[in-house]
Amino acid sequence: MIRFENVSFGYSEKRPILNDLSFHIEKGDFVALIGANGAGKSTISRLVNGLLHPTKGHVYLNGKDTLKTPSSTLARDCGFLFQNPDRQICENTVKDEIAFSMKAQGWPSDLIADRTRAVLETFDLDPEWFPFSRSRGERQRIALASVLACEPGLLILDEPTTGLDYLECIRIMDHVTGLNQEKGVTVLMVSHDMELVQSYAKNVLVLNHGQILGQGPTNEMMKNVEVLKKARVLPAQIPELALRFGDEFKDVFTVEDMLAALRGRAGKGGAL
Amino acid sequence: MNLLNYVPGDSFLHKLNPVTKLLAAFLYGIAAIICGNVFAEVGLIILMILISATCGIAKRAILLTRNLFFLGLIMFVIQLFFVRDGEPLAVIGGFVLFTTGGLKSALLLSLRVIAAMLPLMLLFAITQMNDLCNALVKRLHLPYRYAFIVTTAFRFVPIFATEFHDIQDAQKARGVDFDTKNIFRKIGLVAPLCVPLLVSSLKKVDVSAMSAEMRGFELRGYKSGYKEYPFGVRDLVTVAVLVALIAITALWGA
Repeated sequence: MIRFENVSFGYSEKRPILNDLSFHIEKGDFVALIGANGAGKSTISRLVNGLLHPTKGHVYLNGKDTLKTPSSTLARDCGFLFQNPDRQICENTVKDEIAFSMKAQGWPSDLIADRTRAVLETFDLDPEWFPFSRSRGERQRIALASVLACEPGLLILDEPTTGLDYLECIRIMDHVTGLNQEKGVTVLMVSHDMELVQSYAKNVLVLNHGQILGQGPTNEMMKNVEVLKKARVLPAQIPELALRFGDEFKDVFTVEDMLAALRGRAGKGGAL
Repeated sequence: MNLLNYVPGDSFLHKLNPVTKLLAAFLYGIAAIICGNVFAEVGLIILMILISATCGIAKRAILLTRNLFFLGLIMFVIQLFFVRDGEPLAVIGGFVLFTTGGLKSALLLSLRVIAAMLPLMLLFAITQMNDLCNALVKRLHLPYRYAFIVTTAFRFVPIFATEFHDIQDAQKARGVDFDTKNIFRKIGLVAPLCVPLLVSSLKKVDVSAMSAEMRGFELRGYKSGYKEYPFGVRDLVTVAVLVALIAITALWGA
């Protein structure tokens, strides 16, 4: 689905942001890009859909070289949810906003009407709302609805839950997970929120100064303290607590796991 | 490259008093406006690029000239077809398309736009906006509120340019093709971007105003700043050279 081949990128030669990066992401995967500020996470996400072009190497999306394919064409395969929905929203009603991408991509009008209706219903949105006057969470939901209306095979989320309350965050992430699990939509998520990464991502790519420090299943990476420390990232709380309890807790990743493990230890008469 | 960001440096122009830099940019603009000769206007543009080279921003000056050229082109087309002085130059089916006066006026005005705006835009590259604001207050005793308004307006230009670029990226990611060569289609595609830009700008301005109020904006006067902005010999020389440039363009460039 996504292939990076020896990709380097920088705005100037003196300060490269990405350095000879190679990796690939399979179709249907849910990958989280994690790392400190300036590690190159957002740059990678923008290289995938052709908003940025590598200074060296190649990025392929569904076999298409992003250097040779305009981002407006890549947009048919790839939906991008920005951190700030206000950069995306540009229409005066929610229904026009949702139809915007489909119109831009040249969809037939009857299909646009059908998809708009369906998406409005799924996301519980009023078609006549003025998007700019809605709450931050609702604006983010409108932006996501607009992206998903085009049914992209790849969904890129750049800090999707920043500034959202817990319920809104869960609502958006559950929807994304549903698409990933039921429709096989590939998800690439940039996030600083390790709880979110632990709860939703299948695989993790740890970045530091434009290089990959580690990649693998989320549970495995969350316990790789050395790599996370190097990347200046704190693991999610439950895996971190489990690590401190020792080997007996090595398979503990969620609150439920922790509860079961603690009950098990208490049952054996062990001290906590 | 953001064409309006400050570029640190140690050149003669960098070291000028910010008020002098502003005055010099305006004087250069006046020279361009009073100049009535096409070749002299071209000379003023080349001279400005050479001056920029002394500050290490020649590449930026060339890129800005190229960008201003497109603005000049619009002025050129308007003048060419609406100024009807002089002899007919192009006639189609008895209808005079444009005249010698129209062509001369179009050339002159488009070059004048470039020559007058270039120094003002290059002012951003060699002046920190904080310094300009403080110098206007310290040296000209301009009320801080007004100096702040002027410099904030300047400061917001590159911020809004970046914001516009990000909004454009967001729309590209949704499938909007801005690479079209059809100018009318391009205008149609860019127009909707004004809405998110306006919304984010108003929000930004509102937050900035509140933040300034919370930090005692109203209490600031011309004695508040610790940094002094003295005028030196180089400031005097710069103004004298520019006054001479205006005199030369008025005498020989007319």
